[in-house]
Amino acid sequence: MLNNSKIRLMTKLAVYEGKEGKEDISLSKYYKTDYVRYQVIKSLVSVTFGYALIMVLIVMYKSEYLIKNAVTLDYKTIGIYVLGFYIMTAALYGLISIFAYSIKYDRSRKKLSRYFKLLKRLNKIYNEETPES
Amino acid sequence: MMSLLVFRERVKNLYQRYDIYITPGVKFIFALIAFLSINKAIGYDSRLESFPIVLALSLLSAFTPSAVMVLLAALVAVLHIYSVSPIISIMVMLILLIIYFLFARFTPKLGYVILAIPILFVLKIPFVIPILLGIIASPLAIIPTACGVAIYYVFEVIKTAITMQQNTSIEDVLSLYTYVIDQLISNKQMIMTILTFALILMVVFYVRKMKFDYAFEIAIAAGALTSVLGFLVSDLILDKSDQIFAMILGTIASAGIVYVINFFKLTLDYSGVEYVQFEDDVYYYYVKAVPKITVTTPQMKVKHINVKNVAQGAPKSGPRMQHTNSNDEYDEDEDAYNNDVDNDEDDK
Repeated sequence: MLNNSKIRLMTKLAVYEGKEGKEDISLSKYYKTDYVRYQVIKSLVSVTFGYALIMVLIVMYKSEYLIKNAVTLDYKTIGIYVLGFYIMTAALYGLISIFAYSIKYDRSRKKLSRYFKLLKRLNKIYNEETPES
Repeated sequence: MMSLLVFRERVKNLYQRYDIYITPGVKFIFALIAFLSINKAIGYDSRLESFPIVLALSLLSAFTPSAVMVLLAALVAVLHIYSVSPIISIMVMLILLIIYFLFARFTPKLGYVILAIPILFVLKIPFVIPILLGIIASPLAIIPTACGVAIYYVFEVIKTAITMQQNTSIEDVLSLYTYVIDQLISNKQMIMTILTFALILMVVFYVRKMKFDYAFEIAIAAGALTSVLGFLVSDLILDKSDQIFAMILGTIASAGIVYVINFFKLTLDYSGVEYVQFEDDVYYYYVKAVPKITVTTPQMKVKHINVKNVAQGAPKSGPRMQHTNSNDEYDEDEDAYNNDVDNDEDDK
């Protein structure tokens, strides 16, 4: 026989799972530290790519000068500058990522607590339907 | 006013019922506008301009997530430029990648903004975006807005670079490249536009957060005013006084558009009919969940304890109150869930 209240619950759960909940649920598979660390690593990788591309643009822009003075250039200072700016940018992005993704994780946890409560109710209905021996 | 509110209810009902058809339809129209304006602005490759291709691209973006539309638009733009000058197209690609890696990646839900701003610049009403984002988003939206403005000016510079290349037929790739970069770095108008857009967004956001009647309408007006003043200052500083008239007209049109969108916002936020599928031990369920219509406007009555306000804002403050603190939170829009939670406490 169809159990209406169960169907209602399952529908709500399914709607949530299909839409807003998709991200929350995939996020709930991680511990907070793991999630934040993973996201920070991802943003560091993307910052590295972006920084490298900017460097490519700058090198191309200055290529005439660079080729002309290739022998006399102070490569050590240039390297220190490039590395220093990279470390600064990466640190900035890393810190922002830590903050932003922790907030995101906490928010999605809050939303998920509702979902888990509904799941618990559904579980209870199941147990009532098939009494354990 | 009442008939307008009733009209809004009708639209809401219609949208709820035919959600699955309307959303792709609207996306298709937006995609069509986007691809047509790209073709208008930088249509160098006649193959990409042919109508079947535009139609196919628009159809594809109608049924896929909005990120696909942004990607396709970027691809079309790069291909257009590739057909004239491969070296510039590589440069554009590098710049787009930098913008993606450093900025756009972090606001994935607002990716469409980056596409919308150049398109609306072509249509002469870019002011829609900062005002609208102030209404519906948070100050974080400044990042994609700035990216969009930057992309528009990148393409502007590249357009002049391409005409320069065609006129004088520069063989030297390097000087073309340095020309583009020089133009970009010294482009004061771009920086002024980014700053003004950020200012508009902040003004609209903070005014609409304030707690007084008609905060949203006043926020739109304040945003429009900020836009006129900001661009007046920047146009006068940069000595582009011929643009002022078009700018003011565009701002007024933008404010009008945002006002209309704001009027229908409750409709747009509303969840439509859901089709879900699940199973238990005994059955497969194919459920069509139709949301109940909670308020029908003509019957809505708001009891005011403060008598003064009755004359001013009686029919409006109801839905507004609901809306001022609506984040995208799961629990807020589903009032049914609150009951469940209450029961749940008892169960323990």
